[in-house]
Amino acid sequence: MSEDIAISVRGIVTRFGKQTVHDGLDLDVRRGEILGIVGPSGCGKSVLLREITGLDAPTEGEISFPNADAAGRVPRLGVMFQDGALFSNLTVLENVEAPLREHVALSDELRAEIAALKLSMAGLGPDAHHKRPSQISGGMRKRAAVARALALDPELLFLDEPTAGLDPISAANFDLMVKELADALGLTIFLVTHDLDTLHAVCDRVAVLYGGKVAALGTIEEVSAGATGWVKEYFSGPRGRAASRSAGGG
Amino acid sequence: MADEAAFELSEEGAPVLSLRGDWTVDTIASLELEMRALAAKLVPGAALDVSKLGRFDVAGAYLVDRTFREGPAGSERIAVRGAHENALALLAAARKSAVPPAPPPERTHGLQGFFERVGKAASALGVEIIETVGFFGETLVVLGRLALKPQRIRWVSVVHTMEVAGLNALPIVMLLSFFVGLVIAYLGARILGDFGASVFTVELVALSVLREFAVVITAILLAGRTNSAFTAEIGAMKMRQEIDAMRTMRIDPMEALVATRVIAMLVMTPILNFAAMMSGIFGGLLVSWWTLGISPAMFFARVAEVVAQQNFWVGFVKAPVFALVLAIIACRQGLKVGGDVGSLGSRVTASVVQAIFMVILLDAMFALWFLEMNW
Repeated sequence: MSEDIAISVRGIVTRFGKQTVHDGLDLDVRRGEILGIVGPSGCGKSVLLREITGLDAPTEGEISFPNADAAGRVPRLGVMFQDGALFSNLTVLENVEAPLREHVALSDELRAEIAALKLSMAGLGPDAHHKRPSQISGGMRKRAAVARALALDPELLFLDEPTAGLDPISAANFDLMVKELADALGLTIFLVTHDLDTLHAVCDRVAVLYGGKVAALGTIEEVSAGATGWVKEYFSGPRGRAASRSAGGG
Repeated sequence: MADEAAFELSEEGAPVLSLRGDWTVDTIASLELEMRALAAKLVPGAALDVSKLGRFDVAGAYLVDRTFREGPAGSERIAVRGAHENALALLAAARKSAVPPAPPPERTHGLQGFFERVGKAASALGVEIIETVGFFGETLVVLGRLALKPQRIRWVSVVHTMEVAGLNALPIVMLLSFFVGLVIAYLGARILGDFGASVFTVELVALSVLREFAVVITAILLAGRTNSAFTAEIGAMKMRQEIDAMRTMRIDPMEALVATRVIAMLVMTPILNFAAMMSGIFGGLLVSWWTLGISPAMFFARVAEVVAQQNFWVGFVKAPVFALVLAIIACRQGLKVGGDVGSLGSRVTASVVQAIFMVILLDAMFALWFLEMNW
């Protein structure tokens, strides 16, 4: 069913000098799913995200958006970078307004209201509206970055390490927020993470990148059941077991 | 492509608002005013028909929801008719999360605001002067401490800075000074020639290059080239918390960052200055040779005979003073950078502007002093 595929990645090869990061990587992201991407550091998770979002070009291979292509649209992407990448000379509200200001001609009033709505959906209240990114905490910055990524109602949302650097409670709340947004807005989410709790709490499917390819793909139960090698170590190490216990218990 | 958003209101019995086409962030702009006018007609019991609605997103849902909320029905639940893939979920999400944007923080306008800003700027200038002097003293103390314990000087980074900020500036400093020497000699040959005194071009070039131009050109070039680099480097380190990391490791940034740069500049600026003097005089020599027929041998003989060594030293002693002031301004501005990009920009600007200002101010003070002393 090709119309259910939001992102299609075919035969991606990425080389930096002599180092091969991706070696014929294939991956399909289904429409409306939350796909978690895991893998050891340096396996090319973030590079893949940069290639899909068009920031970098792969050495070989093809990336397409069948769903949007079929409808004759350019897919609209929202990206949350690891540290937020908020514009530091704008306030939080202005950050969310920035893409709206650039691309659509709304009145100042409606634009600010929509920005406030997006911030509120990402869990930031009016207190934060007129603060600078440097005046708010890391967790709030990530939430503001999600709100900005959602400003133009993208169909595809990319999250790069959304819970890195957050305390467990903030991280769990952030996971909850992502899940709620995905359900309410019908988003397709491409989520790069190291956080096993996030994988259990949020992701519909998990793709493991290892050795330049997708080493395993499926629900987290499927992936951890059939795991070998690095994948097995990852899911059945002490942290993996704890995360699956707490997900099973909760 | 997107179908145009439209709506119609049937007012037979309870009003029903039917939406047609795509209601997304790209299409709703034209409907904003009409929707606002519509709000008053949505009496309690009004319904929403979404059966002909195309694509729908949060912005569209917000506009519809806001229209209903502003109407007489208020925040009563919207009765939705017809089937749509995501209209219900989006309307619920928009209703749940809608908050008015916070009012912007108050600013004072008009005359009061003007005086407030002037006052703030004046007091900031005062603080700036006091802090610069304080930083100057702090740096001197650190340098004194290092002079007693030279093994604590980080020679590797000193030499690296000497190369990047000093040696790499050598070609451009020499080139600029060469051109200035040329220009002065041409001017001298023209103007002094009118009085039949064109032979004094040699003195004019040698005096002005040795006493003033070489050192001032070197210092202004360094103010633009090195000060911006130093401030941006240290500022970026400050933004990335590298300086905090140093402090926690009990590495003194004054010693590791400031002192190394000051020492490197103290060594390199006199060398650059010397090179600038030589190339400036060489420029003058070429013009004298071409236009006045003064041979290089004669040129040097005249320089040695008429231009006392004193003039060389008058120019030369200024170099380390300028070096110290420039490096200290650059490092202090770098350490003052805050968390955002704007402060990095304004600090780099301040660093270069203050440096050029101080070079010219100090040079004027030196000139007065040396003239009064008859040196």
